[in-house]
Formats: sequence, C-alpha cells, structure tokens
Amino acid sequence: MKKQLAAVMLAAATGVSVLAGCGSSGSGSGNAATQSAASASGTSAAAQSGGLDTSKEVNLVMYVISNRPAGQDAVDENLNKLLKEKLNCTLTINWIPWSDYANKYPLLFSSGEQFDMAYTSNWLNWTQLARKGAFMQLDDLWPTYAPDNWAATSEMAKAEATIDGHLYVVPTQKATYTAYGPIYRTKFDDGKEYTDEITDMTSMETYLDWIKANEPDLKPYQVYSAGSEMDDMWMYSQGFCASKGATNDFLFYNPEDENPKLFTYYEYDGVNDFLDMMEGWNGKGYYSKSALSDTDSTQVQNGLAAMQVHNIDTYSGLYILHPDWGFKYVNLRKHVAHLPYTQDSMAISTTSQNPERALALWNLLTTDQEVYDAFYYGILDTSYTLDDKGEFKITDPDTYATSAMWAVRTNELDRNGVGTPDDYVTQRNQWEEDIKSDDTAEKYAAFTIDTTNIETEYAACQSVQQQYWWPLELGFTDKESGLKEYQEKMEAAGIEKVRTEIQGQLDAYVATLK
Amino acid sequence: MMTAEVKRKEGFLYELKKNRALWVMLLPAFVIVILFQYFPMAGLVLAFKNYRFDQGVFGSAWNGLDNFRYLFQSGTGWLITKNTIVYNLVNLVTSQALAILIAIFISEINNRIFKKLTQSFIFLPYFISWVIVGTFVYAIFNYETGVLNNLISSSGGEAVNFYNMPWVWPIIICCFNSWKWCGYNSVIYIAAITGVDREIYEAAAVDGATIGQRIRHITLPTIRPTIITMLLLNVGRILRGDFEMFYQIVGNNGQLFNATDVIDTYVFRSLLQSSNLGMSAAASFYQSVLCFVIIMIVNAAVKHVEPDYALF
Repeated sequence: MKKQLAAVMLAAATGVSVLAGCGSSGSGSGNAATQSAASASGTSAAAQSGGLDTSKEVNLVMYVISNRPAGQDAVDENLNKLLKEKLNCTLTINWIPWSDYANKYPLLFSSGEQFDMAYTSNWLNWTQLARKGAFMQLDDLWPTYAPDNWAATSEMAKAEATIDGHLYVVPTQKATYTAYGPIYRTKFDDGKEYTDEITDMTSMETYLDWIKANEPDLKPYQVYSAGSEMDDMWMYSQGFCASKGATNDFLFYNPEDENPKLFTYYEYDGVNDFLDMMEGWNGKGYYSKSALSDTDSTQVQNGLAAMQVHNIDTYSGLYILHPDWGFKYVNLRKHVAHLPYTQDSMAISTTSQNPERALALWNLLTTDQEVYDAFYYGILDTSYTLDDKGEFKITDPDTYATSAMWAVRTNELDRNGVGTPDDYVTQRNQWEEDIKSDDTAEKYAAFTIDTTNIETEYAACQSVQQQYWWPLELGFTDKESGLKEYQEKMEAAGIEKVRTEIQGQLDAYVATLK
Repeated sequence: MMTAEVKRKEGFLYELKKNRALWVMLLPAFVIVILFQYFPMAGLVLAFKNYRFDQGVFGSAWNGLDNFRYLFQSGTGWLITKNTIVYNLVNLVTSQALAILIAIFISEINNRIFKKLTQSFIFLPYFISWVIVGTFVYAIFNYETGVLNNLISSSGGEAVNFYNMPWVWPIIICCFNSWKWCGYNSVIYIAAITGVDREIYEAAAVDGATIGQRIRHITLPTIRPTIITMLLLNVGRILRGDFEMFYQIVGNNGQLFNATDVIDTYVFRSLLQSSNLGMSAAASFYQSVLCFVIIMIVNAAVKHVEPDYALF
C-alpha cells in the first residue's frame, strides 16, 4: 500500500520541475532577404503591388494582441474576398489574448513558428526584440514593396523605426501626441455641475476638493495597482522628458538645456514640493489608502471616481461612452510632441516566407479606404455603420469592435467615432500648430534608449522603482525616510551604471543634432 | 539461491519478455517523462546564453553567469530565497497539519450525509481561482470599504490600514493557503484512514480506549507513511513559490514586497518589462538546482531514519 502510494506520488512529483525551452534554429531571414533583392529587379507589373508577381495565391498570417472577437470569422471572410481580388492573397489573423500576451508574445519569435506580420510596440519592447533578431530587416523590402506607404511615412517616423542603422518596423501613420493631463467629470447624477476649469496643478486641487465636498460617493482621483500617473504628469508639466519616452520612468532630462543631464527623482529640487502635495492628497482621501492593491482600472468609466490622468484618446472614449457626464480634458504637458510613431508598429517576422506580399498587403491596407474599412471596422452595415459625417459606430461591441492592429491607422483613412467631442479635433489641431512653433518639442523625439549593456541593472532599477517609489509617491510611506530608502535601494540596484550608459547615448544623440 | 542466479543470467531481455504486459503498461508514462521532462532539460543551456531570436537556443552566444547576476543585484536574491523557503515551510506545515486534522474528524463522523456534506464544503475552495481570491482579499482588507474595517469602525474602533502593515501579510497568505488546500490534501489522508482495518478500532474500543487514544495510537501511526510522502513531495517544490497566490493577493503593492516577495514574483515583475529569456531561464535554473539539493538531503535524512519511507 505505502510503496504503491509512494510510486504514484513520485510520478506526480516529476511533473514539478518543468522548464520550457523550445528550440529553434536560426533560419529564414538570410535567404528571404536575398530572394527579395532578386525579385526586386523585375519591376513592370501592377504599380499597386510594386512590381510584385502576384500570380501565386498565398495565405499571410498576422498576429495581434487582444481577445479574439466573436464575430471575427465573418469579418475575415468579407476581407479575404477583397484581398483575393486585389492582391491574390488571404489573411489569417491570430489573436493573443490579454491574459497571456506577456508570456506568449516573446515565445512567438522563439518558437520558430512561421508567420508573416505581428503588431509590435514600445510596451512589447520592440527595440529589444529587433536587436535580438526577431524581426526582418526592411531596408530594401519596405520601399520596394510598399512604395505608397513608404512615401507617406514621415522622416521622423523612419528615424524612429531605425535601430543600429537598419529599419525593422513599419510605424503607424496616424499622429498621436505626448499630451497628458486630467480627464475630469463635470456633471453628476444628483444634478450638480462643476463649472470651473482645470488649467494647472492648483486648479486641479480645487477640483478634487470640490468633489470631496460635494460628491462624497466618488473617489476624486482614480489610482489603481499600476501606480499613479501624477508623478509623470508633474515632471511633464515642468517641461522634463522621460528618458525612455513613456510613463513610470526614473530618469529624466530637461530638453531646454543645451547639453541635458539625466537626473532621477531624489536629485530633483522640486521633489519635496511634489511629495508634500501628494501627502496632503493622501491625507484628504483623494484616493484609496489601499489603491496599489486595487486592480480596477475603470473606476472613472464606471462612475466610481471623478478624475483620471491620461491621453486624449481615453478622454474621447469616455466622452462617447457617457455623453451626459460632461467629461473635459486639458493637457498639462509643457512641450507637446508627436508620440513616437513606433508606438504602434507592424513587424515582419524573420520566419516569414512571403515578406514581399506581406508588405504589398500593408501598402494596400494603408492606402485603400475600402480595404482599410473592411480590415479595421469590419462589414459595413453589419459590424459598423457610418453617419453622413463619415463617422463610424460599432453595431455590437461584443461581436466585433475594431481591429487590434492599431498600426494600420493613418490620418487620412482613420475615422472618428460617432459622438467624438468637438475639442478632440480642435485640441489636436492646436498641438500640431504648437509643434511647428516650438523648437524644443521634437528635438529629442527620435531618441531611444538601448539597455543591452545594462539589462541586469535596468531590470533591478525598475523593480526598485515599483517597490519604493510608487508607495512613496502616493504618500503611503514617510516622506523623508522613504525618499532616503528609495535612494539607497536605487544606488544598490546600479542606477549609476544605468545613468552613465544612458547619458552616453543621450550625449551621442545631442552630438548628431549639431 | 539457484533460481536467483539463473534469473540473473537470463538478464533484462528475459525480464522484458516475462513481464511484457507490465512493461507495455509502463511505456506511455516512460515516453511522456522522457519527452516532457528530460528532453526539455536541454533548454537549460539558455540560462548561460545571450539569447537571440534569429540564432535560437543552441546558436546563441554563451555569456557565462551573467544571467544570474540580476537575481543577486542589490541583495534581493537572498531576501527572496529566504522568503520563498520560509513561506513554503510554514504553508507546508500548516496546510498539512490542518488537512490531517480534517481527515481525522471527517472519518470519525458517523452520519453519512453530514460527512459528505462537510467534506464537499471543505473541498470547495480548491476550485476557486486565485484571481477571485485576490478580489476577496481586497474586499476584506482595503482601508475605505473593506469588510473588516467596516466591522471595526461600526463597533467603535479605528480603521486599520492593513496595506501599511507588512507583518500581517504572511499570516493572511498562510491562512488563505490553508483554506484553499486543506480540503484537497485531506482527501489523501481520508483515503489512508479508510484503508485502516476497522477491527483494530473495535478491538481497541472493547479494551476501553477512548476516542483520543484511538486516534493517537491507531490512526496517526498508520497514516505516518502517507504524511512523510506528502511532506517529501512538497519539500521538492519548496523553492517554487505558488506564483498565482502571491501575485493575486499582493499584486503590485510595493509596500508589501519585502514581506511577501518570492522568487517567482520578483522574476515576473522585473522581466515583464524586458524580453530576456536567458534571465528567466537562469532564475528557473537556480530554483531547480536548489530544489534538487534540498530533496536529496531530505530524502537521505528520511532514508537514514526510516528506510521504508524514503521516496528513492
């Protein structure tokens, strides 16, 4: 009896020590590149496909990140009819669900699976993936097989898509902005209305006080487990840039300086003002004292909180969802610039067998309104409808919303949703004007950091940032001792090595500007 | 003696032929273990490589112990190793002790319906995902609207900010762990107790043994091998924190990390941002090696004391 039991248990125990390591041998990239160079010589056929021989039907595979919509099959069928006719190809879209993307996305490239296109972005670490050989190099392929897309892509975007002298991704053409600020609700269920406007940090505090006094059931400011955005906004409002160009950073510089020097929170003079302010907010109960354990990121959307800090697209989304809640938005960032176009990009996998056709398809998707609509919005009058202004409305978001290949959007083809607030357009136009007149705004737009040599220290610093700065920032830990501990831990994690490396990259970038 | 010698001469092939039915039955398990346990071990080389997607696992360049460095950067390596071991030890002891207790109580219940009902209820938490448990925990312990703080303030007390008190979290985690696993673990002990001959109990009762004495002198000694096997098996994964549990209960709350961070959560957090497969492999390798060492030591100790109870 006992020996039997032991045997069964032993078999179960061996299941404990699994270590996944799917092997894949390097293949694909080399010969595909030479193939393309060879076939590039024959440029006579249809101009649309850039001289590509489309006589053979191919099926292209694309990966996007999102949960697969229930109505995807019908959308695919509708789209493939069009693609078959225009480019003699079909497209299979595979979806990596939100719950798995952190694990599955890198495995996509290490498993050796053959596919053609994938969505990629900053938050998917595309620069690291590109440096580690996950993407096909596009120096010749892109201009040859997606000529219209190539022509329409700005020089800035191309510079951003270049890593170590080579192009690795095709960025989106839709302009987005670094503008950052509060999205706040002004009309409430009990008929009360907030009539003032937020224009800076002080008036934001006035608003939050008003909410606390008049709408006790609402949390004034939405904070959840991803940390607060207030530190980022504070730094941006002073005119500083984050070194990695995204939120939750720990190294900043001032783009107005001639030779900017990187600094972190504890080296910044204004940090005490900021921490004082946040300590006060915590004391007044502007957000939950357990906020960092709250996973609800939709408090404002669901009427549980009054204000959140984010970008204008989030504002537009909330406005469309709740037209009668009187949402308002203001940018508090000092220098608004275009966000890196690479934040929504399409990459060709090194395992792709048909990179030429994939790029030809991309060319078609980003230039042909009919194909774009079928790809992005689905089937007209079934999955979406258009009003006379050309704005779209999704019929049933549970069946099909829009595509998750956000990189395909362009300023010309992309449609606004029905009910988009008027100032969505006016504010964006205003920023476009501002960028033209502001010399500092885009000076550092093409600067990207390379952490290859400091991966260990960078990972350790990020971890310290989350562990010690997030609670400190929200006033959960004591200001003085907390700041000291944060500094000690950052130094132990190797912040100096990180700073030296990134400062070197920044200096090199500044040198290229002169 | 003679027959034994003859057998040895016939060798493995004879054994194979003689017991072929048994060998065939063993085959699927054998193949699965080789295919899914031993074969992937080749991937361990990843821990010593600077992994590139286009060069693959075996083509990438070696980089020595670089991948292990980040685990010990700024001294976190020791803290999380210590946390992992302490949590697992405490969880192991509490959840198993509770499971044994439950098993004994349930097997002493005579009413059949009541017995099944109790067992089912205790088993139920096993089916609740940690994601749901995570929301329970927040709903119970959060400062403003938490159930516990509502109780405290309605009875006149001052609300307690649990998320600012790292020391309570080991207790909370331990309780939830036991709550979730004790029902499941007790099934194994109930099975062991059911296997005990009822006549022994009856004889003991006739001789005047009280219920306490029966449990101490009959039940506990007979399920001892089971207890030891269960302990051994769990010691084998002592370096692997229950990632789901820690991640869902603690989440991103930095205030609690020093008290609650285990190797798995630390690695997950610091590598989520970077796609460095080499570093993740190094962490996993580190855990595997330590697990291996610990299980060898514990098994050797058990073998020394009670050779029959050792796993191998």
